[in-house]
Amino acid sequence: MLSLTVQPLTVDGITPDDWDCVFYVTRGLSTIARALGEERTRKELIPFLSENNDDDDEVLLAMAEELGVFIPYVGGVDYANVLLPPLETLCTVEETCVRDKAVESLCRIGAQMKESDLVDSFVPLVKRLAAGEWFTARVSSCGLFHIAYPSAPEVMKAELRTIYSQLCQDDMPMVRRSAASNLGKFAATVESAHLKTDIMSIFEDLTQDDQDSVRLLAVEGCAALGKLLEPQDCVAHILPVIVNFSQDKSWRVRYMVANQLYELCEAVGPDPTRVDLVPAYVRLLRDNEAEVRIAAAGKVTKFCRILNPQLAIQHILPCVKELSTDSSQHVRSALASVIMGMAPVLGKDATIEQLLPIFLSLLKDEFPDVRLNIISKLDQVNQVIGIDLLSQSLLPAIVELAEDRHWRVRLAIIEYIPLLASQLGVGFFDDKLGALCMQWLEDKVYSIRDAAANNLKRLAEEFGPDWAMQHIIPQVLDMINNPHYLYRMTILHAISLLAPVMGSEITCSKLLPIAINASKDRVPNIKFNVAKVLQSLIPIVDQSVVEQTIRPCLIELSEDPDVDVRFFASQALQASDQVMMSS
Amino acid sequence: MSDLDRQIEQLKKCEPLKESEVKALCLKAMEILVEESNVQRVDAPVTICGDIHGQFYDMKELFKVGGDCPKTNYLFLGDFVDRGFYSVETFLLLLALKVRYPDRITLIRGNHESRQITQVYGFYDECLRKYGSVNVWRYCTDIFDYLSLSALIENRIFSVHGGLSPAISTLDQIRTIDRKQEVPHDGAMCDLLWSDPEDIVDGWGLSPRGAGFLFGGNVVTSFNHTNNLDYICRAHQLVMEGYKWMFNNQIVTVWSAPNYCYRCGNVAAILELDENLNHKFRVFEAAPHESRGAPSKKPAPDYFL
Repeated sequence: MLSLTVQPLTVDGITPDDWDCVFYVTRGLSTIARALGEERTRKELIPFLSENNDDDDEVLLAMAEELGVFIPYVGGVDYANVLLPPLETLCTVEETCVRDKAVESLCRIGAQMKESDLVDSFVPLVKRLAAGEWFTARVSSCGLFHIAYPSAPEVMKAELRTIYSQLCQDDMPMVRRSAASNLGKFAATVESAHLKTDIMSIFEDLTQDDQDSVRLLAVEGCAALGKLLEPQDCVAHILPVIVNFSQDKSWRVRYMVANQLYELCEAVGPDPTRVDLVPAYVRLLRDNEAEVRIAAAGKVTKFCRILNPQLAIQHILPCVKELSTDSSQHVRSALASVIMGMAPVLGKDATIEQLLPIFLSLLKDEFPDVRLNIISKLDQVNQVIGIDLLSQSLLPAIVELAEDRHWRVRLAIIEYIPLLASQLGVGFFDDKLGALCMQWLEDKVYSIRDAAANNLKRLAEEFGPDWAMQHIIPQVLDMINNPHYLYRMTILHAISLLAPVMGSEITCSKLLPIAINASKDRVPNIKFNVAKVLQSLIPIVDQSVVEQTIRPCLIELSEDPDVDVRFFASQALQASDQVMMSS
Repeated sequence: MSDLDRQIEQLKKCEPLKESEVKALCLKAMEILVEESNVQRVDAPVTICGDIHGQFYDMKELFKVGGDCPKTNYLFLGDFVDRGFYSVETFLLLLALKVRYPDRITLIRGNHESRQITQVYGFYDECLRKYGSVNVWRYCTDIFDYLSLSALIENRIFSVHGGLSPAISTLDQIRTIDRKQEVPHDGAMCDLLWSDPEDIVDGWGLSPRGAGFLFGGNVVTSFNHTNNLDYICRAHQLVMEGYKWMFNNQIVTVWSAPNYCYRCGNVAAILELDENLNHKFRVFEAAPHESRGAPSKKPAPDYFL
């Protein structure tokens, strides 16, 4: 039945200007193929797709993707080669993302094809593309060698290596870029004898390319090739290239080195890193170009972990000190996001003497991201320097940040408070931080008020109900008279969070009356939140309290003129019914 | 949990609804919106928001600052769609909230809530891309025709997307417009959605936008006097500080799309009115990069190439 409706749609019904329809058809290719059956898919649908030169990239992209998973619809791997022609055409189109997808699909198909089929049809395809007149074909070919190579006979292998090396010297930089970025994948399939000769000479050519956009792709090749080579070869061939690249005249290449530095260190191993790469890294940390410093600064902790503490203190720490006052906020921000991790690497003494002053200056940075990055990782420092020193030196800065104008900074501080409270203890906490916690409940930003209510709950858990009874509850309950409904709402939220911690008795005597009273509020939003709060109190208080206090209030609310108040009140009533039934 | 509540949760994650769900949602929304007046009555407290323009993650930022609906009451002044990457999710979330909590959120029409404009500025293409057909665009633009043209808060603050019209001097004149149509190229309905206040204009001036008018301070003074208003609240124009008073606090522009078009570098604002009509502007910035989903269909261009 389906084929009757589907067939005319696919083969006769498509007019390329009907975008909608073509898009639908491309997305539903597998449905159509299933309906047509394997043979007709091979003989009619695939040739149709190969001929259909629809120029809409969206359609071509969808087609390139679909064909990658089409093997089952053409009759299995035995027939996989029929899928190659349409994809070959797609490998030559102008739109990059279509070509990329076509290459990806070809790789996927090639990986499943039989060895003989690869030799008969895949390798010739790669050679055709590599010899393509238009550069797009040659660009695409570079991404296919690693599939074609392993099953090719010796002669063909030699030919493929030669072709690849020609692609690396292509006139068009786009082709050389593609060759450079695919080199690692290709190299992984090449026998180690050829690796040291053919591939390394290709690689050396690329590292000296006159286009920086090619050289920077070769940087990635360093790490990939490094993993394939024996350690001594790696030191002999890759390390000098990295050192050269780190002084490249193009900042984009240096940026790439800074970005890849950790992978490069892994490739050459720890000893050469200590000897040769430390000076290179120090140069990058002091690069003229801010982008390079950003990338380098972001790796500082990872890099130090490879070094021993002395080297880190001697060479890297002075740079870190300079970067903490860098003129670029983005450099400081990148540094702030990783610098806390240096504390465990450097150990307690060096952290206190050298790192702590840097933390403090970054905590006062004018750029909020810098402050935020430091605060969110403060706990890493607690563990190294201990809470006493932290409270003396960092607490003033924290108190200042509690009023930061950037709300995410305030949020990060609030989220840090319970940890700080547990480590500082009650006495210290009351003096310095108690007032702040109340102040946040009246913050102008909703998320801060919400986090503030949560914070109170966590403090009550930490210090216990008695403490909360003295230091939290009265202040909180006072705020229920705030003239602004959003602030009264925060208090209701705090009540529902605190009730389970405070227990039945305090809930009934202190919290419940406030909620009941708020049910008379003139703002409907308050009233339906009262209903929600009352619902949350039902499991905490005695059945008699539910009967005598909560339910009458909810019944009244369920007859409110406002539809939302009625809804949430009746929902709470239903919940209380269920509790009664189950008890 | 009802279907609608589930759909709201899904939309909050920036996942669009199925086409059939959109159709059903739009039908329900139509029933609600058709009952609303051209000058929809809104009670305080309420938080007023300006243009969003499909910047979904920035609208989530707005809710983080202003509070979630229904906890906070909202009035959105139109221009939900176009230009940003997520017009579909943005508009559907607001519409789903409207259907679920009709008394807690009010949506009025902006000049981009139009068939013609959305075909040029992105919403049409986005629907086509996300659904493979234009049905969702049709459902949404049909709903646009039902959106109210303005709102009146506690009879004292008049809210509209663009501004005033030379054809309108009283609110009752707005009430008589037959709004259920595509935004016309001229006339009162068009002007309300397109006009701008302008300092240098005395009376009325030609708008460089090609629709609506420019109006000066004396026009606002007499409109506010005639209709017994405290001030007018409108959106429609990018203001770098998020909000801007004009004409001696007789009209205020509120703009709620931070870093407009992901490039303007502006901050955004919402206007919080409490139950006594005291006002506070809440200024906010674009959502940080980490809290955004992947933005575009194509991979971002290579950093270097």
